[in-house]
Amino acid sequence: MSVLADALEHLVRGIVANPDDVRVQLITTRRGRTLEVHVHPDDLGKVIGRGGRTATALRTVMAGIGGRGLRVDVVDTDR
Amino acid sequence: MSEAVQVTTGGDVDTEGADGTPNGASATPEGGEDLLVREGDIAGDYLERLLDLLDFDGDIDLDVDGGRAVVSIDGGDDLSKLVGTRGATLEALQELTRLAVQQSTGARSRLMLDVAGWRADRRAELSDLGRTTAEQVSQTGDPVRLNPMTPFERKVVHDAVAGVEGVRSESEGEEPNRRVVVLPAE
Repeated sequence: MSVLADALEHLVRGIVANPDDVRVQLITTRRGRTLEVHVHPDDLGKVIGRGGRTATALRTVMAGIGGRGLRVDVVDTDR
Repeated sequence: MSEAVQVTTGGDVDTEGADGTPNGASATPEGGEDLLVREGDIAGDYLERLLDLLDFDGDIDLDVDGGRAVVSIDGGDDLSKLVGTRGATLEALQELTRLAVQQSTGARSRLMLDVAGWRADRRAELSDLGRTTAEQVSQTGDPVRLNPMTPFERKVVHDAVAGVEGVRSESEGEEPNRRVVVLPAE
């Protein structure tokens, strides 16, 4: 696990109803680094937020820590 | 537990207050102070764990001020990463911290987060800007448009302008380009 994935996992776990179902994976491709966030389907709305506000906040904080070009994807399926 | 807070108004009654905005005193939740202390504790744990994971040096200070929990982090140079350009990262982290508190308490939080004294410094700077701009407008009579600011920043400027006679201020434009305009009073 990377520090960035651990940090994002912690941030997400704190704001959902099912923290044990949170998984974050760092994926590195030639196009750059992406943190993939998986949460319990019931928590999707919480992680995205009204108008995408919460997802934007997560992206802003992670870009501040990990640098620009670090992407955060909230995965919209069970797996 | 304490009884309902009684609000005593002075001689003049505010006849324009019927806009449905709850007034500050009556909006204080039951056990207000206790809840705010709890908010601070939850926020402190959330942020402390984040600093640990990132291996950032930081001391977390908890306080209650003006009816809200205040959490301040001070420490090493790494903390500038949690402030970001014009405090954008700080605003985002505050938003997440409020959500973490809300997840635990079930109540919406108005908690304020400061990192590396950024808000305190910025407040002093903006207060100066608001006052000098207001004085300039008061002398010349010409409106002045300031640079785009966050809601927190605009509030500080509006407050400073309100302290100078003969001028007023309003906000115009859409986020994130919303800005304060200082005008001569009508």
